[in-house]
Amino acid sequence: MTTATLLALSDGGYLAAGWGATVLLIGGYALVTLRRGRALSRRVPAEDRRWT
Amino acid sequence: MWRDVALVAERDLRIELRSRVATNQVAPFALLVLVLFAFALDPDSGVLRTATPGLYWVVVLFSGVLAVGRSGSLDDADGIRDALRLSGLPPAALFLGKALAVTAQLLVLELVLIGAVTVLYDAPLDGFPLLAATCVAATLAVAATGVLYSALVAGLRVRDTLLPLLLLPVLAPVLIGATRAFEAALGADGVDGWSWCGLVVIFAVVYIAAGYLAYGTLLEG
Amino acid sequence: MPDATGATPTPEAAPLHTGSRATRALGLAALAATVLWALYGLVWSPPDVEMGDLVRLLYVHVPVAVLMYTGAGLTTFASVMWLRGRTPGWDSLAVASAELGVVFGALTLLTGSIWGKPTWNTWWTWDARLTSTALLEVLLIGYLAVRKVDPSPAGGSVRASVLGLLLFPNVIIVHYSVDWWRSLHQPATVTRLDPTIEGDMLVALMVGLLAGGLTFGWLLLHRFRVAWLEQQVERHDLAAAVADRRAEGDGGTGTASPTPATPTEPEAQPA
Repeated sequence: MTTATLLALSDGGYLAAGWGATVLLIGGYALVTLRRGRALSRRVPAEDRRWT
Repeated sequence: MWRDVALVAERDLRIELRSRVATNQVAPFALLVLVLFAFALDPDSGVLRTATPGLYWVVVLFSGVLAVGRSGSLDDADGIRDALRLSGLPPAALFLGKALAVTAQLLVLELVLIGAVTVLYDAPLDGFPLLAATCVAATLAVAATGVLYSALVAGLRVRDTLLPLLLLPVLAPVLIGATRAFEAALGADGVDGWSWCGLVVIFAVVYIAAGYLAYGTLLEG
Repeated sequence: MPDATGATPTPEAAPLHTGSRATRALGLAALAATVLWALYGLVWSPPDVEMGDLVRLLYVHVPVAVLMYTGAGLTTFASVMWLRGRTPGWDSLAVASAELGVVFGALTLLTGSIWGKPTWNTWWTWDARLTSTALLEVLLIGYLAVRKVDPSPAGGSVRASVLGLLLFPNVIIVHYSVDWWRSLHQPATVTRLDPTIEGDMLVALMVGLLAGGLTFGWLLLHRFRVAWLEQQVERHDLAAAVADRRAEGDGGTGTASPTPATPTEPEAQPA
């Protein structure tokens, strides 16, 4: 599923843009959320984050 | 209950009569926007005339945001909100009273604006019953929604910038409905003005009910 | 006040992140489903008779649109539940799902636009669905804006929950009025979004919905915990500030101890 295979399809540019934007945005948002969680975890005592 | 409503509405209107914010600031602003539209859209091409219903209601919506913001800021000073909460007035009466006060101010403004668009835009406004019904319904809708949302942002430092962001998308159906109804009153073909007016009425009823029910919860928070 | 059991936590018991066994399992499942999604959507399914390969954009567009509305609906649901019970967990869920709604809403508009350009030859058209989706995005952004500036302690605020409560009804009203507005002006000349879909194309769409849903769930769990942690931080900061005040004023401030000083019963974590 490289960009090259995508671009080989008809209207490949649009496909690459749509799928690429989705992967990038969700991936980026996931990254930001995970990092926020790590940063905040340090400021909260252990008994208030009881998930394992 | 209705005496409480009248009491609250009378208080807000009396403050307005003394401070004259609506007459000295909101109304001139509305007229100014009408003039700005004439600069933006070529007045000779007839665009103004055909676009009158839409422009009219955009101006009313913007003025409504200002009026509602003003109505909310009346209660900001010196713990007036706490005093109102402790006064024993039912929150629903507070909501209805404030909404009615805003409605009264906006209706007067709309009358002025109708005069202005007939003169400035040469708009052939007739179909009086439809015009009047739409004005009343849309104004109630704007006032009820506005008072509810201004209570939502009450006490926030960024209230003035936040209120339009929250209020305008919610009021989009009112803009659509009132504009279509006005187009029908102006004689546009194929537009069923009364059913659009009905849409605005439904919206007004929904938001009056929502404010009636939710205002107490908001005051407590 | 922290109780005595809170000795140095083992990393197992209280990790310094928002992950857990549940999120790891969910994350792996989402990843696997996403790979399948890409294979079905881009390789295994045939091009559409009318749309050609552009139909492959819909395997992304439709799931993210569904999830946007899911996010908005969850926000309203969680707001109602918070107003009923005032438990902090529902408040965290409301803000988490609203933020996810904004992310998936942005993707909905973006992928829709990218699909519309080659299909309709325009990035944007005043189609009822497009317009009401855009308005929903603005409503969600407004909701988050209120959450950001609301100074009320420990998250749970009446303001935000009433706003959240109104969110979905607003979406419905806006949707119907916009729909009516468009249908009166011009009949739907543009191709509608739903061509009849069957066979491998249907599978691709279903796998897309599954993968999107799993990803949404995984993100929601993490974001929920972030919101939860934010509440705890506020609570502890407030408690610390109150303690400072006390120490400084020698107990003479006379203000009643605010509720956050005593830890509220934490929500059962969906671990």
